[in-house]
Amino acid sequence: MKTISIHSSRGGTGKTVIATNLACVLANRGFNVALLDFDFRAPSMAIIFSKALNSPVKYWLNDFLNGRCKEGQVLIDISNFYNLKGKLQVGLANPSVEAINNLTQKSQAWEAAAVKKLFSLLSSFNSDMGVNYCIFDTSPGVQYSSVNALASSDVCIIIMNSDLVDLTGTKNMLKDIFDILDKKTVIILNKFSPENRVVPNKESDFALKIEEILKHPVISKIPCYCDVLQAQRMALLAIQQPDHPFVRKLEEVADKIDDL
Amino acid sequence: MDLLAKIFEQLKLLNTKLDSLNENNDKLLKMFEILNETSIKTSLNPQADVITLLTLPASLRKTAMALYRFERATADEIAKTTGRLRAVESASANQLVRTGFIKKKREGRTVYFSIEPKLEDEK
Repeated sequence: MKTISIHSSRGGTGKTVIATNLACVLANRGFNVALLDFDFRAPSMAIIFSKALNSPVKYWLNDFLNGRCKEGQVLIDISNFYNLKGKLQVGLANPSVEAINNLTQKSQAWEAAAVKKLFSLLSSFNSDMGVNYCIFDTSPGVQYSSVNALASSDVCIIIMNSDLVDLTGTKNMLKDIFDILDKKTVIILNKFSPENRVVPNKESDFALKIEEILKHPVISKIPCYCDVLQAQRMALLAIQQPDHPFVRKLEEVADKIDDL
Repeated sequence: MDLLAKIFEQLKLLNTKLDSLNENNDKLLKMFEILNETSIKTSLNPQADVITLLTLPASLRKTAMALYRFERATADEIAKTTGRLRAVESASANQLVRTGFIKKKREGRTVYFSIEPKLEDEK
């Protein structure tokens, strides 16, 4: 099993759209995919996949981390709803204010116990549930839940927009967390537009310049698509429009994932 | 007579000053006690959460991170996860035990290490 964290230094870079669509792309290739909403401060997957849920959510990821359910009870299989070739199972974060408040006020001891639970969950995905890919959609910046997900992942994908604030934030985050954790880390430049590049360079050299500054490879440069922007997080283009250029870009990312 | 009165007055003044010094001394001692208690509590209760581990030297962090995968593990089992020598993991784990980040338990001839966070009154 390969565990992938999708992260960014700032909000609104496109993490969730990329995480959900990449999960759908992999599931449509026949793989068994677990997609976990690890953005406990601003959960969105319960809304994105609401139509696919045919009954109220019994156990949230919050319940698992709080010790209220077992590893095997946290995933919800939504493959049939989307008629996917493989399996797509989601672990959802509870969007209620009470649950968000509860998980943002935990002690260091609880967070240490949470990482152990996370490793046990991943071990169960791998050995008992036959999961091929586990994808974490994390909360931006330095949150405990995100750092826990990064620590338990094989590879981290940073979603970056081409502006100076995001570039500086990403550079600091790489130095202070990712490089210390010694994780394989790659970058996707999302909503890329030649006009808003922070590095004054030819478009073809831009990714190279970013690699030189951040010292991590850029594996994809996804252009800014108006229809993706309009649909925002609800855009499940990998299912609705599999030939969309945005999905084709994610197909290319999926091709590279095993080599990361 | 005047001289005796003056000496008496001076002694009273001295006494008041000594009382004030004693009071300040007591306050300082109390502050030292509080400071000592706080530093002892901090050093006795370190937590092995990921953000705290980021502040540890790489060698210790690697051992602690590997331990997350186990309920408890021997130095040999940790070494198989990290790809380092058993002796390196043993030294590193024992240092983590001494600093209070992890626990150590001996069963017969086998020594087990574990991360055991103390969860108090958390829902």
